[in-house]
Amino acid sequence: MASHGIPRVSGGTPDKSEQAREKEQKQIEQYKALEKSVVERVRSKDYSNDTFQATSQLLTQNPEYYTIWNYRRLLLQDVFAKEQDRKEQPETKDIEAAEKEGLTPPQREISLLIKEDLQFLVPLLKQYPKCYWIWNHRSWLLGTATRLLPPRNSSELWQSELGLVSKMLSLDSRNFHGWGYRREVVAEIERLSASSMVEKEFGYTTKMIQTNLSNFSAWHYRSQLIPRLLSERQADSEARRAFSDAEFELITKALYTDPYDQSLWFYHGYLMSTLNPANAQAPPILDPCTNAERLHYLEQEIENVKDMLDGAEDCKYIYQSLLELSERYLEVEAGNKVVISQEMMAWLIELRKIDPLRVGRWRDLEVKLKF
Amino acid sequence: MSLAAGPGRGHVTVGQLPDELNLVVEKHISYIQDLDTRRDELEYHLTEHLRTGGIYWGLTALHLLGRPDALPREGLIEYVLSCLHDNGGFGAAPGHDAHILYTGYSVQILTMIDGFDELEKKMPDCNGKIAAFVASLQQPDGRFAGDEWGETDTRFLFSAFYTLSLLGYMPHQHPNEPPIIDVSAATAHIKACRNFDGAFGVAPGAESHSGQVFTCCGALAIAGELDSYLGEVGKDRLGAWLSERQLPSGGLNGRPEKLVDVCYSWWVMSSLAMIGRLHWIDKAKLTAFILQSQDPEEGGIADRPGDMVDVFHTVFGIAGLSLIGYPGLVEVDPA
Repeated sequence: MASHGIPRVSGGTPDKSEQAREKEQKQIEQYKALEKSVVERVRSKDYSNDTFQATSQLLTQNPEYYTIWNYRRLLLQDVFAKEQDRKEQPETKDIEAAEKEGLTPPQREISLLIKEDLQFLVPLLKQYPKCYWIWNHRSWLLGTATRLLPPRNSSELWQSELGLVSKMLSLDSRNFHGWGYRREVVAEIERLSASSMVEKEFGYTTKMIQTNLSNFSAWHYRSQLIPRLLSERQADSEARRAFSDAEFELITKALYTDPYDQSLWFYHGYLMSTLNPANAQAPPILDPCTNAERLHYLEQEIENVKDMLDGAEDCKYIYQSLLELSERYLEVEAGNKVVISQEMMAWLIELRKIDPLRVGRWRDLEVKLKF
Repeated sequence: MSLAAGPGRGHVTVGQLPDELNLVVEKHISYIQDLDTRRDELEYHLTEHLRTGGIYWGLTALHLLGRPDALPREGLIEYVLSCLHDNGGFGAAPGHDAHILYTGYSVQILTMIDGFDELEKKMPDCNGKIAAFVASLQQPDGRFAGDEWGETDTRFLFSAFYTLSLLGYMPHQHPNEPPIIDVSAATAHIKACRNFDGAFGVAPGAESHSGQVFTCCGALAIAGELDSYLGEVGKDRLGAWLSERQLPSGGLNGRPEKLVDVCYSWWVMSSLAMIGRLHWIDKAKLTAFILQSQDPEEGGIADRPGDMVDVFHTVFGIAGLSLIGYPGLVEVDPA
């Protein structure tokens, strides 16, 4: 929801002093007066620079006020249209300055305005990194640049967005607005430059994971990049096998560092899903992906995960993983069913003991496995 | 008359709470009733862009608490109608631009207080106009924008579906008329938001998030495709992801390795209910967590024990308790 309901300004404590109360009343009056002035100006179609500055002031105080962002875009659209329709001849120095950047004088004006507005948003974004409307306005500005400016110039703007979003993600590496915006920026740069960034982005996820293993947002993005990465590398079956092994090695090391981290287990689960044709959301890494390959990985991982129990006997994720892997193993190869089922029963009993929160789920699993 | 979605006064400190907690029903009711009397607080004015949302949350909470009449009906109708635009959309407050989220909340409020006659008086064929406004926001790829500025999100798609459904304008409700939206393009988009972990993100390629699981499952449920699309395997996978949202404190988080928050009591629990796996988490522990997040003196519920309360967390806490079957609460429909 728009603001997640968490107040940014802590208002009414009941024991406010008279002085504080007066101060708050004054703030309210000023805020309401500013709001009134912006609304009246826009309604009377006063699309002047003063109105624009007033929206800046109001949005700085309250960036959640979506209608004012809409007004700001109306004002900008109006200036852009006027620039494009400008009849009088620009000054020589303006023409020269524009030519230097490969732009017409109106385009240069538009470009400057967009850059200025992008600058205006930076401190707001840092202060309110979860405000949908700020991200949204940024995205609109960039989209407008793409429409109104030559590709070379809009491309530069999108490029510098990558720097901004990396900065935002270094401040909060789980901000899903940031990750979503990053995907949008990358897609647009790729489109404008007709070249792929998949290797670079894959490298970025490696860097983010190394900074914080628990960052599932980075693991998730990695999982999204892999199919394209392999196809662009034109990876043959051997290269794909080597890639798969390297990913398993990476996640196994991480799991040894912290087997209690859910993010890591989900990525492990993702790698296993790529071996399961029933999971359409995880395209295979291996090509061809044969049952022999599946069994190889299942056996390898069952052994690996069993080893993790040593010193982490109370770690529920290990038992969950062993149960999933074994269930899958029996789907592929029902050979030594008796032995495996006995082990599974023991893990399930353990799991029910150490994970009482989900006891209903484990009961259902027991029924499903028909023990 | 208007109603604030403002902060609570919350001055609870963790550790002072009794072990055995009860839902302080009367206090929550007066907390919600008093929200509109707080115009002397700056926060009241800074949250005006949420006002219709605040009313919807407050009113829903009151319905669940068994006190649907605790807010004056006339005032509610007058307020909601004052947010209506000529194009059939509603804004968050008088003078605020029309947006699909506030259109959805307004239709929910009007449904709860049975206000469609008054609506019709204000604007003839208003239901049709609202439906047309919502339908106009669908994009060629099936998504829904929030307003004319084009931001898309699965929240908006869900909002479109439930709004049309409440108004009786979903294509399946009018099988003999040309459909006003493309349902299969919309559900195809939802399906593209699904991830390997069985859960859904805000857009194709985005990380799974409990809030989006709720909106995506809700939309599929309204379209009648939830069961057939997920199947038992899909429900197990999604249910596993959802049940892992519960942490030892009893509270639920929105994504792996994030903090617990009362609002997920609704999004996670209603999704679990929609796929028939509500028993996959510990209800007693979640109940305790929600109750500990109450302000037992002033009413209202916070995101976590000890924090400032607000009406948003109040309704999602109470709705979560209702799904769990907390005694004395009205039963809630998960979708």
